Amino acid sequence: MDFSQFNEADSMRMQQLMERNQMRDFMRLYSNLVQRCFDSCVSDFTSKTMSSREEGCVSRCTDKFMKHAERVGQRFAEQNAAMMEEQSKQK
Amino acid sequence: MFGRGGNAGISAQQSQANLMMAEQEIEMVTDLFNRVSDSCLKKCIPDDYLEADLNKGESVCLDRCVSKFFEVNKKVGAKLQEISGQNQANANRSGGLF
Repeated sequence: MDFSQFNEADSMRMQQLMERNQMRDFMRLYSNLVQRCFDSCVSDFTSKTMSSREEGCVSRCTDKFMKHAERVGQRFAEQNAAMMEEQSKQK
Repeated sequence: MFGRGGNAGISAQQSQANLMMAEQEIEMVTDLFNRVSDSCLKKCIPDDYLEADLNKGESVCLDRCVSKFFEVNKKVGAKLQEISGQNQANANRSGGLF
C-alpha cells in the first residue's frame, strides 16, 4: 500500500496498525489451526496422550494448512490488485 | 471540500480523512482475506489429512474458489449499490435499508 501521502507521524501510526493487525491475525490463525487440527485428527480418548497416528495427522494438517494459506494469499493478492485497478479506472 | 484549492500541501483535515480511509482499507482487505481463506479451506480441503501437500485437485479448487469469491464480492457490491440507488431515488419513503 502507498503511504507516501502521509507525514512521518501518520506513517508511523499506519505501521503500528499493520503490526497490530499482523499479531492479531497470527493469533487468530494459530487458534483456528489448533481447533481445526484437533477436530479433524483427535477423536479417540482411550488414552491420555496422542497416538502416533494422531501426531502424524496433526503434522500433516498443519503443513497442509500453511500451504493452503500461502496459495490463497498468492491468488488473493492477484485478485485484489485486479479489483483495485478496476476501481481506479472507474473513478 | 477543504484543502482542494489546487495547492500542493493538503490540509490537516484532509490528511486526517485520508488516514482514516487508509486504516479502514487495511481492515477491510484483512477481513476479506480472512473470510476467503476460511471459506476456501472449508470448501476445498477435506479434513482427513492423509497427505501434507495440496494435491492437484485441491490446488485448482483453491484458485477457483478465490476467484469466485471475488466475483461474488463484486456482484453483491453492484447489487447493493443498485438497491441503495433506488432507495435514494424514492427518498421520501422513510426507513430504507441504508
